Amino acid sequence: MLPEEEVRREYQILEHARKDPQAFGELYEKYFERIFNFIFRQTDDEELTADLTSQTFLNALNHLSTFEYRGVPVSAWLYRIAANEVKKFYRRKKRNRIFSLEEVKIKELVEQGTEHWSEEQLHRMLSYLKELPTDMLEVLELRFFEDKDFKEIAYILGITESGAKMRTYRALDRLRKKFNLKIKYNG
Amino acid sequence: MGKNEIRLRRERMSTGRITRHRNYSEIMRIHDREVRLKRVLRVFTYFMVILFIIIVLLIIWRWEKHWQQKQTTPSTSMFINARQIIHTDFRG
Repeated sequence: MLPEEEVRREYQILEHARKDPQAFGELYEKYFERIFNFIFRQTDDEELTADLTSQTFLNALNHLSTFEYRGVPVSAWLYRIAANEVKKFYRRKKRNRIFSLEEVKIKELVEQGTEHWSEEQLHRMLSYLKELPTDMLEVLELRFFEDKDFKEIAYILGITESGAKMRTYRALDRLRKKFNLKIKYNG
Repeated sequence: MGKNEIRLRRERMSTGRITRHRNYSEIMRIHDREVRLKRVLRVFTYFMVILFIIIVLLIIWRWEKHWQQKQTTPSTSMFINARQIIHTDFRG
């Protein structure tokens, strides 16, 4: 979570960017990589991700005047636009959603410490994740792959904070039961 | 059963590879073009609205003029009626 001072500074940049869109470049440089990774994890296609990332920042630029402070960092607003762009893409193409997850992050998801994480366990975990509904996967991705807090997750997905907590808890609970593992919740 | 496809990535994409797609000047160029297009569209919409209002006003004005003319000019039916009254009076 960003310190309050930094959040305020980012809002000042946004205010300034309303008059001079060039100023938005600072936020673009700061968040480009994170937004790119976030979208790439949901497409697994580099060129498509580049297009959707550009569209995300373009949309943000076009809607600077309508943006309101809701107590979350500017990055949450960008994530929200990016998530909507991804949803729009899949709706248009009528394709199944792809979640391309980093092995390291999946391992981090589970508190395994020094224990060996076998290939078989990993594949079991992947097939389990495949069975999860999209909304649960979205929450898990934001919580454990993007390290977002529940307030931000709620804002990004347009749900309530308790709803975000509930979805995460349910997904993790199923994971705990299935794999008999200890998983971080930090709720 | 979920409808999602889960893929496993062994490595995270490198910063250098992501940087290849970073291009703020291109974003700004598209943004400027969209802003210009929006402005042109807005001006065109205002122009069309004003044009429509002028056309409607013109139609009303012409219709009103025509109606006034019709009221001041005696109609043929009035002449026929008058002739009938005169004939009846003389015969009577």
